[in-house]
Parts: sequence; structure tokens; C-alpha cells
Amino acid sequence: METIISVKNLVNRFGRQVVHNDLSLDIRRDEILGVVGGSGSGKSVLMRSILGLHKPNSGSITVLGQNIEYHKPGPSRCWGVLFQSGALLSNLTVQENVELPIALYSDMPIETRHELASLKLLMTGLSLSVADKYPSELSGGMKKRVSLARALALEPKILFLDEPTAGLDPIGATEFDKLITYLHDNLDLTIMMITHDVDSLFGICNRIAVLVDGSVVVGTVDDILDSDHPWIKRYFGVSRAQRARFVLTEIRNG
Amino acid sequence: MIQDYLSTESQPGKLVVKVSGRWVFDDVLALEEATASILPEPGQSVTFTCSGLEEIDIAGAWVLYDRTEQFSELGIQSELTGFKDSHIKFLQQIIDAAAIREYMPPRNGPRKSRAFKNAVETIGAASSSVIEDLGAIARSILDGVRKPSLIIIGETIKQVYYTGVQAIPVVMTITFLIGIVTVHQAAGQLGKFGATVLVVDLVSISITREMGVLLAAIMVAGRSGSAFAAALGVMKLNEEVDAMRVMGLNPNQMLVIPRILGLVISLPALTIFADVAGLAGGALIAIGSMDISPLQFVERVAYSTDLSDFYVGLIKAPVFALLIAMIGTLRGMQVRFSAEELGLKTTMAVVQSIFLIIAADALFATLFTRLGI
Repeated sequence: METIISVKNLVNRFGRQVVHNDLSLDIRRDEILGVVGGSGSGKSVLMRSILGLHKPNSGSITVLGQNIEYHKPGPSRCWGVLFQSGALLSNLTVQENVELPIALYSDMPIETRHELASLKLLMTGLSLSVADKYPSELSGGMKKRVSLARALALEPKILFLDEPTAGLDPIGATEFDKLITYLHDNLDLTIMMITHDVDSLFGICNRIAVLVDGSVVVGTVDDILDSDHPWIKRYFGVSRAQRARFVLTEIRNG
Repeated sequence: MIQDYLSTESQPGKLVVKVSGRWVFDDVLALEEATASILPEPGQSVTFTCSGLEEIDIAGAWVLYDRTEQFSELGIQSELTGFKDSHIKFLQQIIDAAAIREYMPPRNGPRKSRAFKNAVETIGAASSSVIEDLGAIARSILDGVRKPSLIIIGETIKQVYYTGVQAIPVVMTITFLIGIVTVHQAAGQLGKFGATVLVVDLVSISITREMGVLLAAIMVAGRSGSAFAAALGVMKLNEEVDAMRVMGLNPNQMLVIPRILGLVISLPALTIFADVAGLAGGALIAIGSMDISPLQFVERVAYSTDLSDFYVGLIKAPVFALLIAMIGTLRGMQVRFSAEELGLKTTMAVVQSIFLIIAADALFATLFTRLGI
């Protein structure tokens, strides 16, 4: 399978604290990779390193064959990012937020831009009545959807999601999971998703990467559940693992 | 080029459009031109055959979909055929989205007859909220003074350090320079009357009564007024202020009072430093290049300037401090939603406090003249 993102021998240190110690990870085309790890295990640092927002101490990262350098423009046309808090620009309306990247990268007429932005809002399950609102007037779930619409504005190949279901109620979270699966299936997206939500981890991810001891354990859902690593065992502790198995069989049986 | 995206073939009764190439976001402009060039003759229907399509995304699919919509509005029948499985899902999403698209109510701006009413309402609401905020601050100041807590005292000391101690170098430098400027300017004029020695009177009176306190206050408004507004504004945006409230802490007491008290302490102190530096600047030039001896300088200062002149300057300092701190903290607390608002309120804090400082200074000048001080 084709590798879309390749992280090689990544090292990240903060003072004496070693976050990533020679970490290597490949993300393949068309997969949804879930990233888990304890607090301070460097999930966000990994994502920020891939996005060129953090300067690693050493190691190399390529995305779609392009080398990522700190604060240099990466393949920003090809990726979309959903930040944890949404990170919508607070002085622009919802519509303007989604139109902004389109306006930056294309000289299409304003009506077309408008139409495409509206389309993205509709695709993320929003009604157009929110288009003229400001981010501060939206609920947390709506902010995430708008942010997702903005991430999709430029027809990206890769989507980065930072705890997309954090702060959503279980129903909202399930709907958001469905939305991600729908977009993944229909837009040929490769998705890297940081999450602590076991439901989405087992429900929608093809593979799971667990960050432990400065390194990474990658595998399918079953591989991870069968892992002998003490931290992984604790993370998916007995009761939770049972629940996960339950969720899993339910999904597989339709 | 249109040929890159489609080619047409006219058949009896229908126009066959062969779609090919890459229909993607980057080419939307060219795609729109290409689809606009499809012009069926009257009575012809349009058939798009899409099997030659290499790549498509939502933007490209939308252009195609949009053209078929335009045809149906014109009463021309059109159909899309021959999609590959991997391509048709993009089109399907657009059709799905269009199906759930709601009727958007027309946006109507405020009508003219209501514009005036709205303006009055806005002004009214703004002034009542300012009065309310000021009242809340005043009440919590009273509470704080009645039972001062250790936290408030500690915070106040911190603020004295930030707004006062750290400002000493810059305030002394600018007043020193203004002392130099004043003597140079005055010497030119007074020299014509052979009264060069009077520059000492002029610099000593103007620095102690006006320039020292005014320059210190303006510098502090720029330094600390903006810092107050920005710090409190960010705390509001981060919900820190809300967090304090739910913990039962009064943000006015915790955040506003230490800043007001701190500034009321530090600005008078800064004024004394400013006066000293201003006189030193004046002395440097007067003694250094105007044949006025150090003794003569001290004598003229003592002769011309009463302690009352010094007090006139000093008494204004706490008032200015109150204005700067009240406006800075008030504007900071008014930040509600956005980062842009934060910048706006910070600007307002600085501009308004400097404006009010100078307005208050004019009032003081009139008052002192009337009182003959």
C-alpha cells in the first residue's frame, strides 16, 4: 500500500523530558489511523511536527513525497486540519471562514466560491442558516463541523483530526464519527486522528498507533487489543476492552 | 483549453458532450468557461458521457452539476452518464447536499427608519453597561478596602512592580530629554531679552507642574493601560474570568482592584522620578552650555519654584492613574468574543486614557489658576 505520510527516526525533547525517541511511523493511503497515548506522550507534538508547526530535534518527515520543514509552507493545498477547539477565525462569519482558504488559493468568481463553501457546509451536516453567524455564536459541535468544512474547502487528500469528538455528547460524537466515515469513503481521504474516544477508535479507525515509551506501537484494532505491553493493557483496561469488543462485534454484525 | 475538459458532438435531437481530463478545484475557472461553451440548439437535449474522466473532486463535480441545473432552468433536458464508480460518489454528495439545502431567507439590512432607533439603543445599552461596570468596580473597591485580603495586597505589590518600578528607566529618560529640549527652546527666546538665566525658572516650573506628571502618565497609559486591557481581555476569552466567578472569587476584586491600587501608588512615585530627571536634563544644558553655574541653577530653582508647584504636579498623578487603570481594566473586561475585539478594546483603552488625561489636565490648570495656586 502506498505510503502517504512517512515519519522517520523522529526525536523530540523538551529539556530533559524525551517525548519521542527515534519514532518511525507510516500512514498509508485511504486509511484512518487513530493515534492514542497518555497525556504528555506526544500525540499533539507528533501531529504538529508533521504539519511543520513544531521543530523536531531530529528526524525526517515526508508528506506526499514532500519533505516537511519547520515553518516552511508544506503541502498545505493537500491537507486539512481540524484543531481541537476548532480554531475558527473569530472575526469572520462561518461562511467567510470556509471561503477564506478558497479565496487564498483560487481566483474563481465570488459566486462559485460562495457556492462551494455552502456545499462544504452542507456536506458537514450544517444548515445554511448558520452561514452568517460568528464562531462565538455556535455550539461546540457546530464549531467542529464548521472547522471540518473549512478543512475540506481545498479538496484535501489528507485530513488531520485532533480529538474530533472531545467535548461532544455521545449522540453528537456518534454522528461526528459517521460524518468522518462518510467523508472518508466519499472523498478518498487519508485520515490521521488523535482521539481518546474508544467508540471512534474501534468504530472507524483501520489502524491504531499507540504512543508509549517515546516510541509507537502500530497495528490493527485486534493487534492492539492483543498487545502485551503493560501500558496498552491498562489503557484498554479489562472492562473497557470488553466494551470495545462488544462495540466491535456489534459493528461487524452490522 | 476547452478541449482538455470536453468535446461536443451534435447528433439529431441531442448534443453529446464527452467529458475528459481532470475536473478539479484548481481548474474551476477553466471548467466554468468550458461548460459555458456547451450550447445546444433548440430542441436538443444534452448528454454528458463521463467515462473518459481522469479525476474529479467536489469542486469539479459541482461545476458539472451546476451546468445541468442551468439547463433544466432553461427547459433543456440533460443527463449525466457513464461515470466510473470512483467518480460518481462525488456527484452523489452534491445531489445529496442540494436535497437538504434549505430555503435561505433573504438578508435584509436594518431599514432606515430603524437605523436611528438602533443607534440610540446601542448608545443607551453601552452607557448603561459602562455605568453598571463602574458601579460594580466601585462596590468591590469598597469591599476590598473594608476587608483587604492578602491576595489583593500581593497582587497590588506585583502591579506596582510592573507598572512602576519597571517603568522608571523609560520615564526618566524621556523627561530627561524633554528637560533638555525645554531649555534649548527657551534659551533661544529668552536670550533675546538678555534673560537667559530665566530658563531655569521656566524649566523647573514647567517640569514640576506639568511636564513631569503628564509625560509619566502618558507613558504609563501606553505601557500599562494597554497591558491591563490585553491581559484582562485574554483572560475573558480564555474563560479564566468565568472560572474565577464560579470559584466564588470576584474578578473585579482579584483583577481590577490590584491594578487600580498598584497604579495609584506607582504613578505618583514615577512623577517624582520624572521631575528629578527633567530638572537634571535642564541642568545639564543650562550649566553645560549657557554659562549658568551649578550654584546659580539651584538658587534659581529654589527662588522660582515653591513646594506648591511640586504638589500641584503630584496631586494630579493619582487622578491620572485612576483614569488609566479604570479605562484599561474596563475595556479589558468588555472583551467578549473575538481576538479582533481584543485589539480594538486595547486601542480604545490607550486612546481614551490619554485623551482623558489631557482633558483632566486642562481642567486642573483652569482650576488651579482660578484658585491662584
